[in-house]
Amino acid sequence: MRTVEPNDRDDVLLRRSAKGDEEAFLILYRRHQAPLYRFALRMTGNSWAAEEIVQDVFMTVIREPRKFDPERGALGAFLYGVARNRIMKHLERTPRELSLDSKDEVEPASHKLASPQLTPAQWAELRERREQIRAAVLELPVEFREAIVLCELEELSYEEAAGLLECPVGTIRSRLHRGRALLLAKLEMLREVPRRVNAGR
Amino acid sequence: MTCEEYAEVGLDLGCVSEDNSLAQAAQEHLRTCPHCAALHENWLMLRADLRLMGRESSEGEAPARVEMRLRQDFRTRHKAMKTRRAALIAAWSFGAAAVFIAAFSLLTWRSGRNVVRRESSSPVVAPFTNSAPGVRTVPAAGVELGDVVVASNNSGEFTLLPGSMPSAMEDATVVHVEMQRAALGALGLTVNEENAGDLIQVDLLVGDDGLPQAVRLPESAN
Repeated sequence: MRTVEPNDRDDVLLRRSAKGDEEAFLILYRRHQAPLYRFALRMTGNSWAAEEIVQDVFMTVIREPRKFDPERGALGAFLYGVARNRIMKHLERTPRELSLDSKDEVEPASHKLASPQLTPAQWAELRERREQIRAAVLELPVEFREAIVLCELEELSYEEAAGLLECPVGTIRSRLHRGRALLLAKLEMLREVPRRVNAGR
Repeated sequence: MTCEEYAEVGLDLGCVSEDNSLAQAAQEHLRTCPHCAALHENWLMLRADLRLMGRESSEGEAPARVEMRLRQDFRTRHKAMKTRRAALIAAWSFGAAAVFIAAFSLLTWRSGRNVVRRESSSPVVAPFTNSAPGVRTVPAAGVELGDVVVASNNSGEFTLLPGSMPSAMEDATVVHVEMQRAALGALGLTVNEENAGDLIQVDLLVGDDGLPQAVRLPESAN
């Protein structure tokens, strides 16, 4: 039996993993866990929930590897699909938990990249703004939040996001459009915008 | 471009490669509409914040304890599967062995019963006659085990009795006996009832076990 290589294809690794090859499973896990964890964390705003979700996703890989059908798409999309289901269940169970306990969980590294030239007041202002944005993202309806998380925070292309969410690119585009508008409204940025003077043009 | 049209596509500009003419129209609209220009500027700021937040946490990954838990689960599951598979193989092997032993026992028991039946139905042989050790016989052509053998044989060769094995006659002895014709029926041969009481001379080929294996009827006995 040949040993697994880190650059083996997902379906090969999954097949080996299903036969009890722990090394293949670990390569698969390490390849996909980080984006899934970030996605879950940004969707739920809760690191414990994100951890549980990632664990659940890979438990599915261990226990029901045949659920994945390579004919229907990539393993990444399958894993995102499982993660989305778990996220939905989590959000249904605890819809009000979102913006309460997430302050230092979602962006644990924010202090690292902050400019050292910032005064304490600027630093506080920056933090406050980040919190507002984070809370606004977490308050978005789930389908808009998914699009914003994938395209704006993860900086995926529309095509990549559409592949992961298994929907057309046009759907991603319209969800992003609505999501951005909602986000701007929630952050009350529109209040500072002058009234339309040329709406009829 | 109107504000409504801009609202449809404006925030997307710069994110994807839009049609040049559309981008130019949007830029033109932004220059003339302070509302949409402010909206656009706000969006650019918000987008920059979102991107920054995304990059700051781009190295986030699941804690190591998740991997440990998964590895544990993986091992437990596959160990259980291996155990189950081994138990299944053992069960099937045991079953197959039991069937084989049962079949072997049945065959042994049946062959033993045949020997007992043959012993009980053998005629009494008069021990007076000559013996010819090392006689090898060939069964009469066309006679097979289990066939009905008629007590008439003009060929001068021995006819294998039903249930006898040719291999059991390696060191057989020819025994010349006088017996009632009816006694041939006990050897598995068909006897004409009209002459059943006649005394006839018969050559019996007796195997190592003392049982008659083949019979030869001299012509006078037919």
